[in-house]
Amino acid sequence: MSITLILLIIVPLATAILIPFVDVFSNKARKVLVGFSTVVEFSIGIFIILTNFDKIIDNSFFLTYYLGGWIPPIGITLSMDMLSLFFSTLISISLLLIVAYSIGFIGHHEGKYYVLLFLIWAAMHGIVLTGDIFNLDVFLELLLITSAPLVAFKRNRNGTEAAIKYMFYGTIGGLFVFIGVVLVYFNLGTLNFAHISQNFGSLSLYIQKTIAFFFLIGIFIKMGIFPFHFWLSKAHSACPSSISALLSGVIVKVYVYVFIRLFWNVIGFDVLVAAGLDHIILVIALISSIIGHVMALYENDIKRTLAYSTVANLGLIIAVLTINTKLALLAGLLHVLSHLLMKVSLFTATGYILQFTPSHKREDIKGVAYKNMLIFVGFTIVAGGMIGLPPMIGFASKWYILKAFMTDGYHLAAIIVLIGSIFAFVYYIKYIITGFKKMSLGPPDKFRLILTVFYREQVVTDIALFFVIAVLITGIFFKVIFGPIEGAVEVMQNSNFYIDYILNI
Amino acid sequence: MSKAKNIFKIIILSLLGITLLVHFNKLPLQFEYANSIYHHITNNAVKETGSLNFVTAILYDYRAYDSLGESTIIFGAVSGIVLLLSRKTLPVSSHGLSFIVKRTFGMLTPFIFLFGIYIISHGHLSPGGGFQGGVILGSISIIFSIVYGSEFDYKRYSPTTKTLLETSGALLFIGLGLLGIVMGGNFLVNLKILNSGVGSLISAGSIPFINIGIGFKIGAGLAIIFYSMIQKTFKEEVNL
Amino acid sequence: MINNLVFVILFLLGFYAILVKKNLIKMVIGLNIMEGAIFYWFISITDRGGMIPIINGTQVTSQMNDPVPQALILTGIVIGASTSAFLLTLIIELNKFTNSTNPDQIGGMIED
Repeated sequence: MSITLILLIIVPLATAILIPFVDVFSNKARKVLVGFSTVVEFSIGIFIILTNFDKIIDNSFFLTYYLGGWIPPIGITLSMDMLSLFFSTLISISLLLIVAYSIGFIGHHEGKYYVLLFLIWAAMHGIVLTGDIFNLDVFLELLLITSAPLVAFKRNRNGTEAAIKYMFYGTIGGLFVFIGVVLVYFNLGTLNFAHISQNFGSLSLYIQKTIAFFFLIGIFIKMGIFPFHFWLSKAHSACPSSISALLSGVIVKVYVYVFIRLFWNVIGFDVLVAAGLDHIILVIALISSIIGHVMALYENDIKRTLAYSTVANLGLIIAVLTINTKLALLAGLLHVLSHLLMKVSLFTATGYILQFTPSHKREDIKGVAYKNMLIFVGFTIVAGGMIGLPPMIGFASKWYILKAFMTDGYHLAAIIVLIGSIFAFVYYIKYIITGFKKMSLGPPDKFRLILTVFYREQVVTDIALFFVIAVLITGIFFKVIFGPIEGAVEVMQNSNFYIDYILNI
Repeated sequence: MSKAKNIFKIIILSLLGITLLVHFNKLPLQFEYANSIYHHITNNAVKETGSLNFVTAILYDYRAYDSLGESTIIFGAVSGIVLLLSRKTLPVSSHGLSFIVKRTFGMLTPFIFLFGIYIISHGHLSPGGGFQGGVILGSISIIFSIVYGSEFDYKRYSPTTKTLLETSGALLFIGLGLLGIVMGGNFLVNLKILNSGVGSLISAGSIPFINIGIGFKIGAGLAIIFYSMIQKTFKEEVNL
Repeated sequence: MINNLVFVILFLLGFYAILVKKNLIKMVIGLNIMEGAIFYWFISITDRGGMIPIINGTQVTSQMNDPVPQALILTGIVIGASTSAFLLTLIIELNKFTNSTNPDQIGGMIED
């Protein structure tokens, strides 16, 4: 029984509840509280890795926690294996830096922003660590409800429209997941992941396909894959840049985790193969990828281009995961890591750049390179990584995806990946060239609205640069990351490991 | 163009309907599974938790973590609404309703409050619990706003009071959970303190206290939502 | 049999309201109808024909109705209520900018 699992969820939750409480009494205490609990939460993650380091190397890492003292399947269990550890580390690192970026970018006068940010942190850890299917549904709805006000944070018309669409699509997706939970309880009588996985084979094939279908529709609506992608570009671009980084970079990866956990460990990928659904998912994901790249080409607004690029890359991740060979799963998880780093880096750099321009359109980015050359060069480097140039980590992940497609004969998919890279080259070059154009003797810096206090500008630029350096370093030393990812792939392919650890402990 | 869109929508709807009907009619009619958690809970809930109401036992003891997530959803919704709608303006009051209504509610409100407290505290003995009773408590603030005018409600329970009530309720819930860890069990374990036998009011361990925490949290949350939503709508009525 | 038919009719009615109606508040009502349909269906298919799951002195626990769906549905009702409250807040905000509640103001649900 490792108590650190429940602490990972309770620390941000308690912080989010304490912030309005402390705010009534003193303003300074709130700032101290935010900083303190960020550090505490991050160090719990480091503590878990350090104390279990030998088990991680040994590939027998598994932590559980029984909530309320009830043994499964009567109560709810939390569990962390290599897949959860991978995603949990990604979430903790990116959220630590996004909180620091927000302190610089948004400042301290809006207290409720930090309440919602910590609730999102707690919800994401709740999803990644849970072992119970209804608990998953509750925390998915929590993630939706706490990220929607942040989409509408700027309180202008664009943000409100984006938030309404986001809420409608997200709630309907949650309803389909709830129908899936209803079907699971009706047929199996239990709500625990391991127990469901153990007894799932005893249902008739027809019922298995029905349950898989409902969960699939629900998670695809929430992720933004092809027929349901209409909300994503507006929602990810109408919010302040730190929230764009959070939504586009981290939250979509948590939905990828839900997809992996449900369809590899609980339902079992052979059900999808028997229903013929894996080819349909591959086609839909590739179409989603193409649509993402094409719409990004048409867009004239830098944040909407980046949002459509997220749609495209997400389709690519789902497509390569459905091939289900060891190399393909490795490539998929590596692309999760690399896309997270690159997209967060692009959005944090964009947030800094856009304070110099009157609007988000491409024509207004003229000459921003000369305001701060370092940040814009960083933006260029990471954009090169998104296209797939070495030595950034985008090159490594795209290389492995191409290799996974080619070794199994999916040549059309490999061609689509290459065409996508060419499109990405075109639409990133448009912005980079416009940025480097010399501005004619225009008006002086009258758009320096946000970052006039010196330490805020320092924090923002430092964090944007940190992500650029992270992209470069992980690109060069990516073989080191392969160890944990291989452990995660092992968990995906071997569900008996999971069942044994939870039910027979 | 819009005719085509309408036909498209109706096609989607009918496809969805046919899919659902065809799939669901193949489900077995009988719901009986030997491994189900239903059997364990209905046989052992009274012994293990001490509450006579099985639904409350599931909500606040076996699956108390889900109730924590659910009350956090209300907290997140309240924070989001306050973020979007609150302005630092003074509340503008309306006239309230007529004299008869004001007098009637002056007599009724204490009984409504008593009824809410009854449902919260007897959650483990009869149908009810924290969520249901909390909604009744929240409706008292809504009654004040509608019947007496929002300025009366502002003077009685300022938004600061409501925020403090809400966060105290949430902290009580988490505090009880952490107390379980401190006393040697797991998070949200049922602390069997102040237990005086099944069927009396003070029984079922920590379930009544969790109910009280959740009741205040929901009541204050609903009051804050209502108060934030009506803040700007009375400006036109003042000059009536 | 009849449970599934009623569920499908109610679910499609709610979904029809979201797709076709030209008023955002009616779309929120449609969302609530969809959620209510799922809750109704869940209760009606897990019914055992027994008594309510509360011990009232002379109850027999062997033929009690299932308490687990009731707990799950209570959670679902609270989630639905908070979602609707937040959506209505967003509609109030939108009304301040455009003075109408037509979903064509936000470009419709399916276009971009």
